[in-house]
Amino acid sequence: MLSRVADNLYWFSRYVRRAENVARLVEVGSQLQLDLPRAARFAWRPLVDTLGAGEEFDRWHGEGATPSEAEVVRFMLVEPDNPLSLRGVVGNAREILRTVRETMPQDCWVAINDLHLYIEAGAERAGSRRHRHEFLARVIDSCLRVSALLSTNVSRDIGYQFLRLGAAIEQADMTSRIIDAAAAGLIQPRAAEDVEAFRAMQWMSVLQSLAAYQMYRRHLRQRVSVELALQFLLKDREFPRSVLFCLARIQAILPQMPPRRPVQQAFRRSLGLVFDADPAKLAASGPCDFMDRLQVELAALHGAIHESYFVG
Amino acid sequence: MDWTRYRSSTWDELVGSDGQPRPAARPLIEYLSGLSRRELAERQLAADVTARVMGITFTVYSEGRNVDRTLPFDLIPRVIERREWERTAAGLRQRIQALNLFIGDIYGKQKIVKDKVFPRALLKESVNFRQQCVGVTPPLGVWAHICGSDLVRDGDGTLYALEDNLRIPSGVSYMIENRMVAKRVFPELFETSAIRPVDDYPAQLYDTLAALSPRPGDTPVIALLTPGIYNSAYFEHCFLAQSMGIELVEGGDLFVGDDDVCYMRTVYGPKRVDVIYRRVDDSFLDPEVFQPESVLGVRGLIRCWRAGNVALANAPGAGVADDKVVFTFVPKMIKYYLGEEPILPNVPSYLCHDAKERAYVLDHLHELVVKPANESGGYGMLIGPRSTKRQREQFRALIEANPRNYMAQPTLSLSTAPILGEKAPEARHLDLRPFILSREDVYVTTGGLTRVAMKKNSLVVNSSQGGGAKDTWVVDLEEGA
Repeated sequence: MLSRVADNLYWFSRYVRRAENVARLVEVGSQLQLDLPRAARFAWRPLVDTLGAGEEFDRWHGEGATPSEAEVVRFMLVEPDNPLSLRGVVGNAREILRTVRETMPQDCWVAINDLHLYIEAGAERAGSRRHRHEFLARVIDSCLRVSALLSTNVSRDIGYQFLRLGAAIEQADMTSRIIDAAAAGLIQPRAAEDVEAFRAMQWMSVLQSLAAYQMYRRHLRQRVSVELALQFLLKDREFPRSVLFCLARIQAILPQMPPRRPVQQAFRRSLGLVFDADPAKLAASGPCDFMDRLQVELAALHGAIHESYFVG
Repeated sequence: MDWTRYRSSTWDELVGSDGQPRPAARPLIEYLSGLSRRELAERQLAADVTARVMGITFTVYSEGRNVDRTLPFDLIPRVIERREWERTAAGLRQRIQALNLFIGDIYGKQKIVKDKVFPRALLKESVNFRQQCVGVTPPLGVWAHICGSDLVRDGDGTLYALEDNLRIPSGVSYMIENRMVAKRVFPELFETSAIRPVDDYPAQLYDTLAALSPRPGDTPVIALLTPGIYNSAYFEHCFLAQSMGIELVEGGDLFVGDDDVCYMRTVYGPKRVDVIYRRVDDSFLDPEVFQPESVLGVRGLIRCWRAGNVALANAPGAGVADDKVVFTFVPKMIKYYLGEEPILPNVPSYLCHDAKERAYVLDHLHELVVKPANESGGYGMLIGPRSTKRQREQFRALIEANPRNYMAQPTLSLSTAPILGEKAPEARHLDLRPFILSREDVYVTTGGLTRVAMKKNSLVVNSSQGGGAKDTWVVDLEEGA
């Protein structure tokens, strides 16, 4: 397996997973906004930060201005000047696939190319509330289709391990970023005393954005609280988008790859951090600092993978 | 489909001047006659969809973006009778043997120059002569392992060699894919006629490459070196690498170690490479000896090749014989090296380097095709009968300034074959590019890639200039008769 090809497979998988998460996040934001009473408004900015597009966003509409919901959504989904938009992410996945087409199933190219063409052609629909649901559902479906094609049609060779690794790291990272956004406050009540009242609603929508609400209810059988939501998203051993589950998946992948000490070390640091995390404390003090640390560790793990396998 | 009014102004590959199908094409034309216009349109659509789904594309750089286009595919195949093809293949074998001996001689003792068969002056001015190759003896003495020769037929039915592409000829993937499309569209004909298969090529190419390995005995590690996704032939590079099961690499994937051995960067660490099928031009192959700013190649690759640690196909420097001026000497090379008469005639040519021939060319610009020695893709040519006075004056100046760089040929009345027109079959000019593999023996594809000018009366068949392709059938009339 060429280092360049492994690198491309890894990033292809990351981008597809990222696109799916972004679409879910915007979908839930859009739904939540419809449920909010007049006394509160939905804060889009933390979601923009989730994409790491905060600076881009400020440059784009000017710091301090209050862009409309349609503008923000447009920026996140289809703005050509925003390389971190959904459109940019899918475009990246497609460009990468062009370079490794000979190693991937043909159907995969067809699926990504169709999605790319759909986004290019339907960019305007994404802004309008009426069509947004349809647009996002199609994006999520296409991403899941690609994931399914990979898991059903690709031989379990070393290349496949890099696809799995990319998806696992991306999901761990996205989950931590989405928690971060929620902690920053997605719902801004006009009166300060209403903060508590909206808190549960906010975490419920976060669980929904990670397709985790139903599983949460089934497994925890309790109303949503910050502590339990954190417990579930960070440390649940069975839910596939929880950070711990993603790390366990990485733990299963690493022995199938050429052993590299820096990767092992970085992995153990990420795992230790999540393992030691106490959801009750995080709920009380606010999880933002912890999530920042987690993202730094995940970035270090990515760096170690990059240095060990992709530089060659 | 109505053939009664189909006529060509020149030799037609499928239909004789009396309007009757040629024997090898008779079953095809009878079959097509039985299809309604609608059925044909449906099949053309099916062919186009198949091509798009299979991703048969070439890349064109336009408006600052790379666009993947599908190569226009015409439904009606070109048919060649087996006995004619065998004669042609023998002629191609003879040419490539002479050409390989010539290249080896040029980088070796230069006997052909000392014997005054090939002028020293031409050699001195050849832009494809590589000093770095002097004294190298590649495995089996073969320089041009993969050759794509262009053949054209004149109005009187004679098949001529037009040029031999010895650098990085492309198009073979279209030959194979065109057949896959044709089989889906005309399964009935493949059942009833003895149409020779073409899909052996990747296996033959693999054997050709494997035979070059500097580590015989071990399974060789073979890689196809591509300039990357922005190259117009990238689809073909993927296709061939995939069909042979070899690695598709870019320059950055390879490096040459201090031991003068070439390695791939893999997730397991460096892995030795034995044979490189390079689809990168000589001048970009190694920044250490050629273009220093090239990022497409591999630093030290020529050093590694000279040391015999890696085989390159085609060998660097093979292009010295891929030059429209050197081309005119191929019949003499065949006599000189093989002691044989050429089986395939060259298109008659005039060398502007020679004072007498130059005078003739300058006097007859309006009826000749003038070509620069080293352009490909049909660029930089003057087609005399279709030129303006101004263009002719421009070429006169170019030739006088640099006579070595130009040669001229009479305007052939290129043969035609029918394409599927709006209402009826229409005649279009075409050529044929067979591919020839040289190892201990020589392998010639069955037929080759037929390129067709889709525009009426156009003589330019290059894909970059609006040309299309047809499937090419070598049909055995004796088998099963």
